[in-house]
Amino acid sequence: MAVSVAPKASAATAKVNRRSKGGGMAIAQRRAGLLFVTPYILFFLLLQLAAFAFAIWVSFHHYDLLALDNPFVGLRNYARLTVNEDFLIALRNTTEYAVVVVILQTAFALLLAVLLNSKIKGRNFFRTTWYTPSVASSVVISMIFLYVYHPTGLLNSILGLVGIHTTEAYLQSTTWALPAIMFLNVWTTAPTFMLMFLAALQDIPKEIYEASSVDGASAARKLFSITIPLLRPIIFLVVSLGIIGAFQIFDQAFIMTKGGPLKATLTVALLIYDNLFVDTGAVGVACAEAIVLGIIIFALTLISRRVIDTKIEY
Amino acid sequence: MSVAGSNVQTELTAPIAVASMTGGRRPGDVGDSTERVNRLEIVVRYALYIVITLFLFVPFVMTVLSSFKTSAEVIAFPPTLLPSVWHPENYLNVLTQISGFPRMVFNSFFVTLVVVALNLFFDSLVGYAFARLEFPFKNTLFAIMIATMVIPGFVFIVPRYIMLLNAHLVDTYFAFMVLYFLQPAYILLMTQFFKSIPRDLEEAAIVDGLGWFGIFWKIILPLARPALLATGILTFQGMWNNFLDWVIYMQSPTMQNIQLGLVSFRGQYQNQWNLIMAGSVLAILPILIIYVAGQKYFVGGAATSGMK
Repeated sequence: MAVSVAPKASAATAKVNRRSKGGGMAIAQRRAGLLFVTPYILFFLLLQLAAFAFAIWVSFHHYDLLALDNPFVGLRNYARLTVNEDFLIALRNTTEYAVVVVILQTAFALLLAVLLNSKIKGRNFFRTTWYTPSVASSVVISMIFLYVYHPTGLLNSILGLVGIHTTEAYLQSTTWALPAIMFLNVWTTAPTFMLMFLAALQDIPKEIYEASSVDGASAARKLFSITIPLLRPIIFLVVSLGIIGAFQIFDQAFIMTKGGPLKATLTVALLIYDNLFVDTGAVGVACAEAIVLGIIIFALTLISRRVIDTKIEY
Repeated sequence: MSVAGSNVQTELTAPIAVASMTGGRRPGDVGDSTERVNRLEIVVRYALYIVITLFLFVPFVMTVLSSFKTSAEVIAFPPTLLPSVWHPENYLNVLTQISGFPRMVFNSFFVTLVVVALNLFFDSLVGYAFARLEFPFKNTLFAIMIATMVIPGFVFIVPRYIMLLNAHLVDTYFAFMVLYFLQPAYILLMTQFFKSIPRDLEEAAIVDGLGWFGIFWKIILPLARPALLATGILTFQGMWNNFLDWVIYMQSPTMQNIQLGLVSFRGQYQNQWNLIMAGSVLAILPILIIYVAGQKYFVGGAATSGMK
């Protein structure tokens, strides 16, 4: 509209104007862009970079929340971890927990997603109900499972129905407490990853399966030689998110067992909490533990990337 | 063994169902009576779906039923399915017996809603800049954001606690506003969404002389409803369900959320199973309503952002 009424004679000036306006706009855009991302820059500098640097600094000091002077102790906090019995127990429990949970929840999530990806009546109903464990909070899930694992709770009631009569107090047993928390977490986390697998499954072209059907490939073979290889990137994502989450297991162990019985469910995250709030003066140790935990998670994520997310060609 | 039928994916999944139910026997093993195999397959498949549904959903059903029982009946042996006498007054007792329950509900809603509002604004603002604007260090910043998303949160707990302590923000609502005013996972979600909408509208707006903030606020945000809903709903879930941060950063009894309140109540009254269950139902109710109402955003958002 504006163009059509503009006199032809001023076309050249209009062009010049537009160019200079374009330059002004590029500057305006740069300013707007920087202004818009400023909140993230602040978040990164203060809550991530400064916090991370501070964590490392604290880990090299004997740090007490109440003390005025926090002397430098070098690597002593880290060295102490290698001989600290609680830390070694916690690390073993946490690793055991993470290995079992990550494997089981990934497999279970994949099974759920494959089942939901078929054309079945009531698909939406199944998806809705199956995802519910992932909607509930860790506290609610813990409360529910305190009841499930009670000597006369849901689990033993169901076992009773099939003829296994027991009043085992799972959470008070050094044998069962950790597996009980593992089971709870597989149950509550698998549906989250189910959705990620489901989204990825829906992106696999149907022609691939059709072609292999013509070739007479069995369904199990299709799963292992088509579906799983094509899902490698998403399997890696699920495994690495699983590793990050599982190594930081805190809520359920804190609520249900407090690390007990006899440290059977003591985890590194619980120990960090204890060192921060229970033992005054162990804040440096808490930081060292968190950083070691971070390094372990990082290393395992890299390893899983090598193992799972290798490039494949067809 | 290729069973005749148009739905290839059914074939793919059915044998897994069958295999896991029968211990590895595949339908092909039965031999030539394809029709009977199909019928059996359908029965077995549905049986599997129902078993999984029971497995994942029965604990919730039992929780709701238990919340109407007496505390003795919840853990009675032999167990009961339905309450022998329904006790809806359990819910009233939660409100009166858990000290400070109304305050906890307020704390939960207040912190959750403020953080949701902050994230709707900041996640979309930053996401828009990453998706559409050209500015120095953009790619570096974006790469940093992606890379730092995988740093485990426990690394930050101690330093952030000390920082908030020194800023006198521990035990205040501001702690959550500082820590969660934006979340990289949802910035990423917004960025991806903004990249998917056509540029024509913005170009028209530029000609109209609307500034960049005007374009973002008046033109882009109204279009971003689905992504904003996903961000809002998932942030609501994360904040409503949050336990760890309340344990770390909130210390006075009046600064508990409903999750922490439930844990303290259970610590004091281990045997009040009916009230613990009723409290759990109340704690899950808001998020369940949002889940049922906004399911597609839940599903889409959780799948793309990859964070819970």
